Amino acid sequence: MARIVACYKWVIDESDIKVNPDLSINLQNSKGKISDYDKNAIEAAVNAAELLEGKPVGLTFGNSKCKASLKDALSRGLEEAYFINSEKADKADGRVTAAALATAIQEMGEVDLVVCAEGASDTYARQTAPRLGACLDLPVISSVNSFTIEGKTLTAIRKLDDCLETVKVELPAIIAVLPEINHPPIPGLKAVMNAGKKKMVEFAEADLKVDLNPKNQVLDLQAYVMERKNIVFADGELTEQVKNLVIALKKEGVI
Amino acid sequence: MSETEKFDAIIIGAGPAGIACAYTLAKAGKEVLVIERADNPGGKNLTGGRLYTYALEMLEEGLSEEAALERKVTHEQIMILSEGRGTTIDYFDSGFSPYEGPPQSYTVLRARFDEWLAGKAEEVGANIVCGIRVDDVIEEAGKIKGIIAGDDEIYSDIVIAADGVNSFIAQRAGLIPDIPASSVGVGVKEIIQLDTSVIEERFHLQDGEGAARMILGCTEGLHGGGFLYTNIDTISLGLVLMPEEVAAAGKPVAELFQEFKNHPAIYPLIAGGSTVEYGAHLVSEDGYHGLPKKLYREGLLLVGDAAGFVINSGYSIRGIDLAILSGIAAANGICASSDIAKAGPQYIKEMEKLNLLPTLKAASGYRDLLNIPRIYSNYPYLANDFLGNLFTVNGEVAAPMKKSLKALLKKHNISFWQLFKDGLRGYRAL
Ligand SMILES: Cc1cc2nc3c(=O)[nH]c(=O)nc-3n(C[C@H](O)[C@H](O)[C@H](O)COP(=O)(O)OP(=O)(O)OC[C@H]3O[C@@H](n4cnc5c(N)ncnc54)[C@H](O)[C@@H]3O)c2cc1C
Repeated sequence: MARIVACYKWVIDESDIKVNPDLSINLQNSKGKISDYDKNAIEAAVNAAELLEGKPVGLTFGNSKCKASLKDALSRGLEEAYFINSEKADKADGRVTAAALATAIQEMGEVDLVVCAEGASDTYARQTAPRLGACLDLPVISSVNSFTIEGKTLTAIRKLDDCLETVKVELPAIIAVLPEINHPPIPGLKAVMNAGKKKMVEFAEADLKVDLNPKNQVLDLQAYVMERKNIVFADGELTEQVKNLVIALKKEGVI
Repeated sequence: MSETEKFDAIIIGAGPAGIACAYTLAKAGKEVLVIERADNPGGKNLTGGRLYTYALEMLEEGLSEEAALERKVTHEQIMILSEGRGTTIDYFDSGFSPYEGPPQSYTVLRARFDEWLAGKAEEVGANIVCGIRVDDVIEEAGKIKGIIAGDDEIYSDIVIAADGVNSFIAQRAGLIPDIPASSVGVGVKEIIQLDTSVIEERFHLQDGEGAARMILGCTEGLHGGGFLYTNIDTISLGLVLMPEEVAAAGKPVAELFQEFKNHPAIYPLIAGGSTVEYGAHLVSEDGYHGLPKKLYREGLLLVGDAAGFVINSGYSIRGIDLAILSGIAAANGICASSDIAKAGPQYIKEMEKLNLLPTLKAASGYRDLLNIPRIYSNYPYLANDFLGNLFTVNGEVAAPMKKSLKALLKKHNISFWQLFKDGLRGYRAL
């Protein structure tokens, strides 16, 4: 049976991120969630599995807290969930993430299609799919806005800056999908209840025999504040105010 | 459990009532499913807050020791405000935090507490599913047989409506009408973050101690009051008002709340803090008088706020402890009934055993007391004016106290006869 792998990332919920007065970032009381864009990737994998009459499975690389994501992922239509459990995920760069995922995918056996999101909602680095392609020596189609599958041929429409490009590839392959590709439904009660009974597999770092030490290191993380000019055009008639506004905008080079 | 099997019990709502019920049932070996519409238990819940620990101890001895709570309340306070002035009564009782055994009550933040309690219920085997709203109950031959959520139907021997105030499920089952606006208050609240040491300094607290304060005279004469609870590193500050009166007065609640925060006796308590959360929630005001005629029907029990179990005495609001008690009583009622059809009447008996219904009944007079409109303006203003006169020294000859009191009564439109009547009403109510 065809196997379709959806890769997803467990990220910090943006709404829980607080900025301290000194611009350091406060992640106390923050909760995790599946990256919103990855919910699109999971839904795309489930749809692809229907077209391929195959089995959609999920794969994630994260610290031990990420385990909480498996049930959520499984309630979204995936049939099995695989989890690479390593605290090193916190500091991973694109190379490490791709290497971890690729090794696990090889461990899982034959695969027909890997679906990633174009980027994760926290870093949006857009590296996972291309690097995964390199690790697994598979073709990659990024920025996928929609796709169809016939036999073993996947035809994707890529949304680029100012045009749509149609691309064809023979499976196995990797696609990176854009959020517009679908609207993932909110899982229903039975789907949530059944999720807990599905197969979950955990890989420990040692199982994978892959170097998870990053070459890129994050040294510092600081919030920034947008400086506002707070100019109010209150003098004179309305027409004059507008004129002054236009002059000011021109001076700033915005128009 | 296979698709066609059914649960022993389905509980709608993962608030304290629902979780206490699930915990007790799961511990007794029942197959329980709790369905909560928020993404996390407590995610959408709002309370004043304080929790009386006896209820947690009844759920399981020792539970309050490890519970996710804030500060043990050793300072019980009543504050009376009028424009530019305030009187605070601060009752300190070290006995509220004894050397042995749990303190009488703790301040509490629901997002933390509910999630912790739900985790305890899961540990003993309850299934809790979040992010799902129950849309209806399944009714067959006059009995409730299960629930409907989206496209899914799930069956169970019994359904427990723990879905809070203005229970949609109790309405669907025909046990309560749509609640009239006059029977509920609307609570608004902010959680304001401050350093632990700042809070302890401002409220004169020892390490881990807390204050619970009810505030009168802060509603511009409208039926209602304020509350303030000190948490570990936040302060819960809120107002409870009657929606109909607010609408008639024409001032938005948000504006009343801003003025309350800026009152010169309140502002220094929260100065420098940042609001990290705000919300609004309904609270039933009718206590014993407002209880539905029937708290169950075959296949369905109402617990907690869904059953209207709240005591609002003016100096405190109690609902969480009653919710927990009713959850336990419902579970005990179910376990004691070999024939599930008898669970309803048995539930009522269990509530008597746990003193729940007697407690509500004993507090039934408060509503009459709190319906005296003068409590919200004339009396608090009078009290502050009286103390104002008492403490004023300005070189003029002070009027005799008797005379000054008489003048103040006149100023605040209170006759002796009214004072006597209200006093009597208060006396009877208590
Ligand atoms: C402003 C204010 C101050 C208060 N102060 C205090 C206090 O200091 N001390 C105190 O003891 N009590 C206080 N109370 C009362 C107390 O908060 C409640 O009595 C208590 O929360 C009731 O618990 P419950 O479990 O019955 O309901 P809730 O805590 O309301 O829980 C109901 C749960 O059901 C869920 N739900 C609802 N509908 C559905 C559905 N259709 N499907 C699935 N899930 C659903 C909700 O999301 C919620 O989690 C206060 C109340 C207010 C509003």
